[in-house]
Amino acid sequence: MGKIKVRVKINGKERSDEVEPRMLLAHYLRDVVGATGTHIGCDTSNCGACTVVMDGKAVKSCTVLVGQANGREIKTVEGLSQNGKLSKIQKAFLDKHGLQCGYCTSGMLMASYWLLKKNKKPTEEEIRRNLSGNLCRCTGYQNIVEAVKYASELIEKEGEEEEVVVESQ
Amino acid sequence: MNGIIYVIFIVSAMTITPSVFEYYTPSTMVEAVNLLEKYGDEAKLLAGGQSLIPLMKMRFASISHVIDISRIEEMDYIKEDSNRLSIGALTTVDELGSSVTIKNRYMIIKEAADQIADPLVRNMGTVGGNISHGDPANDLPAVMLSLDATFMVQGKNGGKEIKAEDFFVDSLITALEPNEILYEIRVPKMVKRQGGAYIKHKKSAGDFSVAAVASNIIVDGDGKIIKVGVALTSVGPTPIKSTRAEGILAGKKLTEELAAEAARSITEESDPVSDFYGSIDYKKKVLRFIIKESLVAAYKRAKEAQ
Amino acid sequence: MITGQKFVEGKGTYVDDINLPGMLYMAIVRSPYSRAKIASLKGGLNSSDYEGRMASVGEGGSGEINIYSEPVFAQGYTSYLGQPVAAVFGEDRYKAEDLLNSVDVEYEPLKPVMEIDAALKADPIHPGTKNNILIDKWVGKEFKDTSSPIVLEDSFYNRRVATNPMEPRGVVATYDGNRLTMWASSQSSQSIKEGLVEAMNLSPDSVRVIQADTGGGFGLKGGLHPEYVIAAHAAMKYKRPVKWIETRSEHLSSSNPGRGARADIKIFAGKNGIINGVTGEVYVDAGAYGGFGEFAPRFIAYQLTGPYAIPNGYVRAIATLTNKVPQGPYRGAGRPEASYFIERMVDLLADELKMDPADVRIANMSSEPFKSPLGLEIGAAKPFFQDALKEFEYGKRFTSDTAGLGFFVLVPGIGPGEGARIKIEKGRVKVWLGGDTAGQGHQEFVRTLIREELGIASDLVELQLGDTDAVKRGVGAWGSRSAITAGAAVIAASGKIKDMVIKDFGDYSPENALSGSYDIDHFEEMKGTLNSFGANIAVADVSPLGAIRVKDCWSYYDVGRVLSKESVWGQIMGGIVQGIGQVVSEEIAYSDEGELLTGSIADSGVLSADQVPNFVVKVAENRSDLPHGVKGLGEAPTIGVPSALVRSIEKVTGKRIRDTPVRPEDIAEDF
Repeated sequence: MGKIKVRVKINGKERSDEVEPRMLLAHYLRDVVGATGTHIGCDTSNCGACTVVMDGKAVKSCTVLVGQANGREIKTVEGLSQNGKLSKIQKAFLDKHGLQCGYCTSGMLMASYWLLKKNKKPTEEEIRRNLSGNLCRCTGYQNIVEAVKYASELIEKEGEEEEVVVESQ
Repeated sequence: MNGIIYVIFIVSAMTITPSVFEYYTPSTMVEAVNLLEKYGDEAKLLAGGQSLIPLMKMRFASISHVIDISRIEEMDYIKEDSNRLSIGALTTVDELGSSVTIKNRYMIIKEAADQIADPLVRNMGTVGGNISHGDPANDLPAVMLSLDATFMVQGKNGGKEIKAEDFFVDSLITALEPNEILYEIRVPKMVKRQGGAYIKHKKSAGDFSVAAVASNIIVDGDGKIIKVGVALTSVGPTPIKSTRAEGILAGKKLTEELAAEAARSITEESDPVSDFYGSIDYKKKVLRFIIKESLVAAYKRAKEAQ
Repeated sequence: MITGQKFVEGKGTYVDDINLPGMLYMAIVRSPYSRAKIASLKGGLNSSDYEGRMASVGEGGSGEINIYSEPVFAQGYTSYLGQPVAAVFGEDRYKAEDLLNSVDVEYEPLKPVMEIDAALKADPIHPGTKNNILIDKWVGKEFKDTSSPIVLEDSFYNRRVATNPMEPRGVVATYDGNRLTMWASSQSSQSIKEGLVEAMNLSPDSVRVIQADTGGGFGLKGGLHPEYVIAAHAAMKYKRPVKWIETRSEHLSSSNPGRGARADIKIFAGKNGIINGVTGEVYVDAGAYGGFGEFAPRFIAYQLTGPYAIPNGYVRAIATLTNKVPQGPYRGAGRPEASYFIERMVDLLADELKMDPADVRIANMSSEPFKSPLGLEIGAAKPFFQDALKEFEYGKRFTSDTAGLGFFVLVPGIGPGEGARIKIEKGRVKVWLGGDTAGQGHQEFVRTLIREELGIASDLVELQLGDTDAVKRGVGAWGSRSAITAGAAVIAASGKIKDMVIKDFGDYSPENALSGSYDIDHFEEMKGTLNSFGANIAVADVSPLGAIRVKDCWSYYDVGRVLSKESVWGQIMGGIVQGIGQVVSEEIAYSDEGELLTGSIADSGVLSADQVPNFVVKVAENRSDLPHGVKGLGEAPTIGVPSALVRSIEKVTGKRIRDTPVRPEDIAEDF
């Protein structure tokens, strides 16, 4: 069976690989690219540990074939911090204790990142609804919700990520 | 979406990687139809993949040719003209739920779209996939049945139309031939004094609804029902379009009592099974409750609609 | 090193992130039937290559291998759906799964024994045994009560629940010809090592277990599992590293779930609400083999008087064998079951006497320490409970017509103590513990204690992952024990370091300590009890269709001194959702024919962010007698929340609730 060539931009970097078409985006990121921050927690598209942002939308990378990602731009948890500086959503998760074991965290961060891109000031209910495809077994969600609220405040006060990166350069 | 997973786990597949297949990315519908023609039963269309990929990961179906139609241009749109609303099959569920046209005028569609799976799955899952998968637990089929939608299909010998009520044949089986593609969904344009509602009842956690119901109502200036479409999700091998609703409700104003009577009668058209989501009796109780709720909501919206 | 920072950067190293050169991926052929004869088996690694059995280690483990111990591979017949039958190995995870087809198994399905009652009546599921009773013991002392005017009986069932850590189980095993090294997602690298040594008959020196970053455990990851032995055996046989990562569907069918306990309880009481005695039977559905099931029923029975001063108690503790995956510890591990059973009876008594449930509870509390006839030692319950009612504003903010109260005693697993190693080198402090953290925040309490004991700033102190080569002796992180036992070990080790610094420098200062090199590995022996109290109040909304929505859930726990506020609050809030989950949705269910009905994490009932409310967390910081003043914590919410929430559902619907999870159709309105 043939391999296919995929060309993707991952966290700003272009790359291309020959892979089996059956490979899932999550496994491509973890096993081929070596970006193991994207986790796999279930087989049924329920848990969201594998969430990445593809062409601006948060998706479950365990339910995307690598071919579907061909030509697209992918942002993973490794792409959140810029120039060694944590992004606001990462800082907020740390400051608000929005993680315990860390396993769901990458997916939570990426889903939250996407939410804050489309909705800068989400209400508590909107946060909870938007994170409904990301399961956490440790935190009870309360601190995760607090973290997203806090990140939203940080963005309101200090502006969005890209601006900060430009300033720091 | 994800509709069949429950059934499959009973046969205990525990893999998480698909078996080997060839992958195609046609850029036109004709190309896609030719590929379908060539590979027949061994081929499967992939749009967003949110129903198909979970099945492939469990190696449930042997699919040796995957035809990814997501690169076909111009199948991703929501348009409304003087006659109809047209939805391209590759429109994602998220796009459907976020569309201003849908939000302003087709609340029933928005209500269903916003309750499909979760926000991340909705970013990939497509309207065409949700409908053509033929899963009786999927939400858009019942909505389209209640709205008397028409499905536009491209086959080897050109295009054809299939009415929603003729489309759903059995569990996971539709009227689509193996070499046909659903490319557009057409919904009659909302008229004055038309309203709809989609009510979905779920367990506290879990993917699927215990039952859901779509109600679509048109009233006259006096508030008398002119036309009504009711369809049910998750309570039979296919989504079920009520044949009784019209007879009970047409020509009348909806009261609580009438809604309850209609709900009781329509519930008798369902064919649920007893499973982890509830017994047959419970599911019928759920139906009686949510059918009534959805009729009342749809009627209220119809009376208020300009 | 364990910090939150690496996790938000995606830089954790979980076991699936470990890749070794030449590594094989393992996939397991599992029984698709709950019970079947294996008529023929060809291909893969199977019982013809490896005949060993599992050793019972971890929480409640006996360390033994006996006739009820699970064979590593099914031998001649399968006893649960998901039981390992054979293993295959591929160059990557896709190829390993491709090879599952290369194993040819013919099964002859047999009628499975799926429930406790059926197990008591059925022929033994294992040939050569007499019946399906794993253990059957009486706890307490027989008593006769012919004078109590109120005698109430009821039956309850906490159905099975999956542990469902977000990271499933997994190991990487490698063998260099002399030593087996295994990386594991773990709550106890020490127990896993002990298990491998026992089960595989290896010398302790030849096995090293190293913890990878661990994405939650909740009881599951403290013990040995068949797949670990298979991976170890394969690494030794093929002389290549072997990785096994559990899929979620494997987790739901084949990893040890918790709960699965039933009770028939009778209480004898006076008209004033005072309970004179409790008796009855506790049954645990142990699943197909021994292990935790041998320990659980006695542990539940022992706690059956709860926080109450009940003078008489006599309870039969039974575990039955069924054709299900063996039961294991899940957050609370016997404590929530006992609390649920007695709290349900106390509420029943309140209804019988038309008393406020708070008053009935107070009537049964002592203002003095109390030792129950079942052996449970508790402190003075009444003052704490009265404080809890004040904190909840009981009677004002919450009233008994909609709110459910839960009151419990938390029995942490203290013995035999815990190990800790502190190493100071090049101005930095590394700490290893005998039990492995899986997200509970061990790093935080370790830093607090080192700061207090040695005066060393937290940013110089790093908790290391578990490693059996780094710490000589250790137990594990379960049973609400880590802050108590590992904390005590850290303090004792710090003391030894202080002594050495004084010896070297004449006096102690953090600067002196940091300028030297010190390395202390200490096992702090501990025994006895350190039981503490907790209370919850919950209010549920129930729709006409029986859908439950939790409106309010407040906690008030005596956690002793708080070493890390974030960790304590985090533990409580996370545990509350697990407690709610057990009541409203969580379950591992089978059909009567033995088919698994809960094959996805969603179906097994793990709640999402939009399904739970915000919580109010309050704590009492009543110091314990330990130097660091702590008490148990981690299991408090899974003990306290279920009974409180169930009571609220009962009040709101007017229907008596006996079992968890509560099925919507049982509480839906009639119409």
